[in-house]
Amino acid sequence: MRPIQKAILVGSITIVIYLSVVVFTTPALLPLDAINAALQLNSIVIFGMGIGIGLQVFISEKSKKLGCSLKKKSFGGNAGSTATTSFFSFFSLVPLGCCGWWLYALSLLPGIVGTGVSSILIEYSQPLAYGGLFIIFGFAGISALKLRKVIKKQNLKIGSKNYSSQIE
Amino acid sequence: MNLKLVLLGIVAIAGIMSFLVTSPDDAKSESDVQITSATSDIMITDGKKHIIPLDKIRGGGPPKDGIPSIDDPKFATINDSQFVSDEDIVIGLSINGESKAYPLFILVWHEIVNDVVGGTPVAVTYCPLCYTNQVFDRTLDGTTVEFGTSGKLYNSNLVMYDRLTDSYWSQGLGIAITGELSGDTLDTIPFDVITWDNWKELHQDTLVLTTDTGHIRSYSTDPYGSYYTNPQILFPVDNQDDRIPLKEVIVGFHQDDIFKAYKQSDVESNGIINDVVGDSSILVVSMFAGNSRVFDRMVNDDVLDFTFEDEVILDTNTKSVWNYDGKSISGTLKGEQLSRLSINPGFWFSWISFHPDTLVYGVTP
Repeated sequence: MRPIQKAILVGSITIVIYLSVVVFTTPALLPLDAINAALQLNSIVIFGMGIGIGLQVFISEKSKKLGCSLKKKSFGGNAGSTATTSFFSFFSLVPLGCCGWWLYALSLLPGIVGTGVSSILIEYSQPLAYGGLFIIFGFAGISALKLRKVIKKQNLKIGSKNYSSQIE
Repeated sequence: MNLKLVLLGIVAIAGIMSFLVTSPDDAKSESDVQITSATSDIMITDGKKHIIPLDKIRGGGPPKDGIPSIDDPKFATINDSQFVSDEDIVIGLSINGESKAYPLFILVWHEIVNDVVGGTPVAVTYCPLCYTNQVFDRTLDGTTVEFGTSGKLYNSNLVMYDRLTDSYWSQGLGIAITGELSGDTLDTIPFDVITWDNWKELHQDTLVLTTDTGHIRSYSTDPYGSYYTNPQILFPVDNQDDRIPLKEVIVGFHQDDIFKAYKQSDVESNGIINDVVGDSSILVVSMFAGNSRVFDRMVNDDVLDFTFEDEVILDTNTKSVWNYDGKSISGTLKGEQLSRLSINPGFWFSWISFHPDTLVYGVTP
């Protein structure tokens, strides 16, 4: 599969999984209404995650093709950021009044993480989700820079090989 | 693999997911045969009584008792009430000389308090989605029962269940909608939705519900955030009506089959409204922001008309002075007591979803 195709597939799957979780956890609404509600509030986060994770896959696949596979660390970090971003953004759906499962999760959180952290999650879920999105693109950016460096090094090596063969 | 195959894969995943998430309740209700009783509106499906189509009752997300009712409420005196701000809104209840306040910032996490006030077992209820407040007498056929949250919604409104028969009760209607007690009605008790500051002014001996609820919750934050001020609703309701903005707070009143809504802002700006609903002559009065009370204007077979002059409530018939509790404190009617009537405060969309034929004060039908 070409890198661009794989990127679109993984990015789209990310969005589909996100929306499926929304539908699952919003029994008060019909699936289409739940998706519509989530898109109204969190479209930037939803599509941002899809694009961000797709971008990461594209860079990773491109690097493999060039024979300079990037460390899996950054990809894992990006997947973690995506999960965290989704987690935060789900809580921001509660003020829509229809995502009761997340309200339930919010009500249980103080017993696990304390009332202070819960308050932050309740009050700042949307900014936290945007923060997560920023990290996703941050990881993708770092991967792109690394790939660029590797490509430069390879070009230099090829260049110096050609140069030395010319001298010989 | 080409792009078409990729897209086909995505569509297939989405299809499988949407199939998986189809609510089993919905599927069940479609396959059930409903038998309508010849003598009443009670229906029976799979041996279970109900008065509304079962598919109208939707899961809200939390399981039964996932939003835990407060069954052993602890109270503080005014002196120990630093955890409540003056501007916090409370449900105020005064029965047989005992007064208690239930802050909404606690109720938003519990929705129901099973309590006894002035010897009367009560269920103090609050549905954050509809901003509907109601106090019910929780005596059923002479037996005191507890109520809990079912985790279900009807018209996006709290559906309670009683722990005696497991019947489901609509908070907005005060009627059992499924189960053994289907069609039964709960008695309501007049109460106030009012700021803590104003409630303290009215009842200096009041107690207030504390956050010692037996549950750890983030009482300092409201999980619904901007929901109350956002003009939209995204969930389904049976009826909508644009006579009033969806989330404007109204005071709902009904007499027999006549339903009438008063915008809280209208009641506040008028101070006093003399009105007739069905066969009842009523007084709608507000002396505090966000608060309204309704009284029967009939005293000794005479219908009184009221006015608000020089910061006092007067009846124009005898010029007697009345206090906010509906008691005449001077004049020829001194000592007479107006009968206080139950109201249904909440968002307009909730009232109209349950009562589509409602009249609206100040709006010609």
